[in-house]
Amino acid sequence: MKYACLLGRTIREAFVKEYGTCSMSIYALLTQFGDRYLSALFTTYKLTAAAFALAVVIGVAVTVMRIAPVKPLRMAAEFYVQVFRNIPGAALLIFLVYALPYLDIVLSYYVCVLTAITLIPSAFCSEYLMAGMNTIDPGQIEAARSLGMTFAQLVRNVVLPQAVRSSVLQMTNLLVATMLTTALASQVPLNPTDLTGIVSYINTHAVGGVTAFLISAVLYCVTAVVIGQVGSLIDRKVRVLR
Amino acid sequence: MSTANSSIRDVLYEPPGPKTRRRIGIATAVSIVVLVVLAAKVVRQFYIAGQLGPKYWSLFARYTTWRFLGRGLAGTMEVAVAASAVAFAAGLLLMLGRISRYKILRGFSTALIEITRGIPTLLFIYFFFLLAPQFGLKLPAFWKITLPVAISAAGVVAEVLRSGVNAVPKGQAEAAVSLGMRGGSVFFKIVFPQGFRYVVPALISEIVIVLKDTTFAYVVNYSDLMQNAKVLISNYDALLSVYLVTAVIYILINYLLHKLSVRIAGRNRIPGITIE
Repeated sequence: MKYACLLGRTIREAFVKEYGTCSMSIYALLTQFGDRYLSALFTTYKLTAAAFALAVVIGVAVTVMRIAPVKPLRMAAEFYVQVFRNIPGAALLIFLVYALPYLDIVLSYYVCVLTAITLIPSAFCSEYLMAGMNTIDPGQIEAARSLGMTFAQLVRNVVLPQAVRSSVLQMTNLLVATMLTTALASQVPLNPTDLTGIVSYINTHAVGGVTAFLISAVLYCVTAVVIGQVGSLIDRKVRVLR
Repeated sequence: MSTANSSIRDVLYEPPGPKTRRRIGIATAVSIVVLVVLAAKVVRQFYIAGQLGPKYWSLFARYTTWRFLGRGLAGTMEVAVAASAVAFAAGLLLMLGRISRYKILRGFSTALIEITRGIPTLLFIYFFFLLAPQFGLKLPAFWKITLPVAISAAGVVAEVLRSGVNAVPKGQAEAAVSLGMRGGSVFFKIVFPQGFRYVVPALISEIVIVLKDTTFAYVVNYSDLMQNAKVLISNYDALLSVYLVTAVIYILINYLLHKLSVRIAGRNRIPGITIE
């Protein structure tokens, strides 16, 4: 341990002599690791998009189960939601990577990460949809029924449009949250790494220092802000005024 | 934020007639069978893989196991409490900055809030773990996990508090001003206490997120529940059972916090006040 520290200090001092600072310039960093950053950004986006799409599909299915008039289905769906909204991402990922092989289920690192970052948002997706549905005045449903609408018509024309429209903001937040969860990918060896993994990669292969961190931070942040802006734009267009 | 209360579920269906009742009965029976089969498959997989053996589960009958896990849990709680406190203080300051009348302060706070909300906790942890030492900032492991977790919660806390303050009816502040109160005491004695009350459930939900983020403590080698679970695993050579129990502990604690939040939300609900 002591020697590792010494070694690290020697390398850093050599770097300080070479570059005048212990942190690489943004130019030097990008020439050396530029394409890695691009593929890292792409990995994060790909994971985010895939996980979000899957999470919404599962979330809708679970929500349908939660409002179904079949008690065991409701209970199972409720159980699913409570488990995955309350489990820490790291615990879930570690379980998938290290514990599942003991059950003779071996998944690739990529599949493990994707599963972890899909299951957790899917539970929150269902919670948001339920909350969106609860903004509907029960009187509307009684009115729809007294107009003679069938159950399918009622769900399609009264419940779903309002539930979807009033959960736009929360779905936007879910997309951002999914993106932040993809940082879990840095905890397993993936090639190419994601935007968080690349920071530790650069710091073990060179003295990327604070610049490496800043580039990833800015990329995350800009993405989050853009998603947020687009989301509130859509929300303003479709919001149900009450 | 708020969870499903069953109001909409209950009005979604008419009281079922005899035909529908029979159909629901069949669906119930079928779904019970499917769920039981699924559960049996899981248990069977455990059995086939030999994971049900007493070797893997007998350690949980020992007092020392639970004491060790409990010590880890105490470590987790210390980080969670400290991080929550720091996040609340920082969030309060950011919120005050964001609603202040000075444009520069407003812009600065808004930027900070967006930054802390848009960056994953892990990246902040790497900052404190890998980069801070390069600047000669030597922190104990406790703060290396507490600070990043607190920072990434601070922005959300600020926005939650702001939504509460915004939900307080305008008349409250106007009444206070007309009684001769000054700006500062109008905010801290009238507006903020009410706004805070509205958002207590949302703040509890944020504690759940803080608690979940503390599981990254293994990155900085701080002994929390997860880390102690790892030690147990190498001592007893029982990976699956220990991780399973650890996960269940986390889920139970967070579930209880979530239930608390829902209950307070139900009790504090005030007609006509909506919190975004």
